[in-house]
Amino acid sequence: MHVTSTLRSHCAPFRAKKLDIGCFVNKWVIRDHTKRKVFAENEVDRQALRYVIRNTSLPPRMRAQAQLQLTQMHCYTRPTQIKNRCTMGGKGKGVFSDFRMARYQFRLNALAGNIPGVKKASW
Amino acid sequence: MAVPRSRILELMKTSCSIFNTTFNPQRLRLGNKILRQRLRGPAVAAYYPPRIGTTKDLRQAYQGKGVFGGWEVRDEDEDYRLEKIRVAKMRGKGAPKKKRSAAESKRLTKRRPGGNK
Repeated sequence: MHVTSTLRSHCAPFRAKKLDIGCFVNKWVIRDHTKRKVFAENEVDRQALRYVIRNTSLPPRMRAQAQLQLTQMHCYTRPTQIKNRCTMGGKGKGVFSDFRMARYQFRLNALAGNIPGVKKASW
Repeated sequence: MAVPRSRILELMKTSCSIFNTTFNPQRLRLGNKILRQRLRGPAVAAYYPPRIGTTKDLRQAYQGKGVFGGWEVRDEDEDYRLEKIRVAKMRGKGAPKKKRSAAESKRLTKRRPGGNK
């Protein structure tokens, strides 16, 4: 029971009190947005630790400590947690990162002429 | 004609000082790769579009000193809250006064039979 409670509270301490994004919103989008903000806040610390780890001229003990510290940082500070999601439908798969849209939303918006410079080709 | 190593090292050193790179003839791994990387946090955090055009934004735009400013815009939710507080205070049901010290707040807590737990 204890495990479930900690898992549930992962996002909560970082989540904005008020909705601060203006696209399609569901829990996954909010979670991803929260992760992005937390990553941006902690990026400098992470890079500093990574520098210490990669620098072979520093004492091994110090580098091991930095490794430990980096692994013990909250998972939301990790860039690998971030996933590009569709801003029109919240989907996590088949997202064109250039348009920030999943393939079907991209098709709909492109056909409707909402995306500048995109045109249906036929040959 | 072979160029002596010391000459080449000198050249490397000069080039490093000109182009602001680290002089590292032994090719030790000093982690400068990490320091050279750009921070991508701001770009990553701006992936989803910000929430704009809310009533709060409108109110700030029309109430402030900007181009459209100088209007009085009522915030209905805030008015409702203040009205509720006013009515509660009239009925003597308002929030208690803030206590200045710990002793003062302790003195005014309700005593229960069998002691407070």
